[in-house]
Amino acid sequence: MDLSRTSADAATKVVLAQGEAPVFAPGERVRVLTRSPVGHYRVPIYLRGKSGVVESVIEPVGLDNEEEAYGRNAGMKRHYYRVALPMTEIWADYDGSPRDGLHIEVFETWLERI
Amino acid sequence: MNNSEQLLRRLPNDIGGLPADAIDRTEHALEPWEKRCHALADVLDFHKIINTEEKRRGVEALGAEMIGKLTYYERWIATFANILFQKGILTPSDLARKMDEIEART
Amino acid sequence: MPDHHHDHTHDHPHAEISQTERPGYYEIMETAVRELLIEKRLIGANEIRRQIEVLDSRTPALGAKVVARAWVDPAFRSRLLANGRAACEELGLSFYDDTGLIVLENTDTVHNLIVCTLCSCYPRPVLGLPPDWYKLKPYRARAVSEPRAVLAEFGTIIPDDVQIRVSDSTAMVRFLVLPRRPEGTEDYTEEQLTDLVTRDAMIGVVPVTLAAERTAP
Repeated sequence: MDLSRTSADAATKVVLAQGEAPVFAPGERVRVLTRSPVGHYRVPIYLRGKSGVVESVIEPVGLDNEEEAYGRNAGMKRHYYRVALPMTEIWADYDGSPRDGLHIEVFETWLERI
Repeated sequence: MNNSEQLLRRLPNDIGGLPADAIDRTEHALEPWEKRCHALADVLDFHKIINTEEKRRGVEALGAEMIGKLTYYERWIATFANILFQKGILTPSDLARKMDEIEART
Repeated sequence: MPDHHHDHTHDHPHAEISQTERPGYYEIMETAVRELLIEKRLIGANEIRRQIEVLDSRTPALGAKVVARAWVDPAFRSRLLANGRAACEELGLSFYDDTGLIVLENTDTVHNLIVCTLCSCYPRPVLGLPPDWYKLKPYRARAVSEPRAVLAEFGTIIPDDVQIRVSDSTAMVRFLVLPRRPEGTEDYTEEQLTDLVTRDAMIGVVPVTLAAERTAP
């Protein structure tokens, strides 16, 4: 068997490392988790439990800034997503147009698909 | 959520949506030391001696009273000192000695 | 609400500082930390000097140049909206803080506003350092919950049929607002257009107007 030759299929099959491919796609509905870590975070309280739509996937992947905050400068990277949420979803008494929105980058580990 | 729980669950700088005063648009030009402090922050991040996120975490760790009473760059330099102590890069006595020396020569 | 001390948050100096006054406690601490790190050869004195030059070289004039180019060059505008950082790099700008840049275009139906509720994230490579009000509680707390009231304090009234999009910067991406080109500027040169664009228009708190005059910072 000639190991220097491979089938066209095998030659083009690329397996991505864990976390390399985005988990969420633009247009998908997501909810920001409500977990409340003891330590550092970059997901403001006002967003917790709120639902929105993934507007775009931020490239390139980045470190989890909750880990970076404790001096970890390397490690597994994941995507941030720019999420669009209606102001009326966040603030029950929002005074403005119902079309007004909040846009924010949220790290993958903080989102769930709905 | 009770108050003591909230103290840990909400970081002091997580203020989006809280009631606040009218915006005061007064601006001040940075003092030379404030600009040096900003440059120091950037250089510390370039070397990953203190990365930007560590700096943010360190500012939050000062607590609400210090955050409320110190100016922006006062918070930064106090944070850098704390983190450098935590990492064993400087000791409190190193810094105390150096500050005395600087005070004596100025 | 718990009894936080947020209401006392302020970033302005406590008192006017005269040049002859002896350095304060925190200023001495800054000198001491810097000198100790240099003595330990963890950083170089020249690195601090160089970074101060970098900071001084970044002013809203750079952002204004980007905006004016986008107004006169549709292909550049498309590239800028597709990848803000790459398009700015075409103009010689660098992103020393390794942040990305999303450029948000204002139109007759959309008005963008940028804020950082958690700290003071700001497009420093293209606008320089943020104004004090951007770093203080009132703007940060209110821009995300009552943007129309905040805009009104800057004299900006947005009609109800125009959608407001507030971008809260928290991570690796910074934002720059591409304001609308004012009417009556059809004959302006790119340079004349550049002079109309203000820092505050690129944060999204005011429109660009013919009356505006860009002043430092």
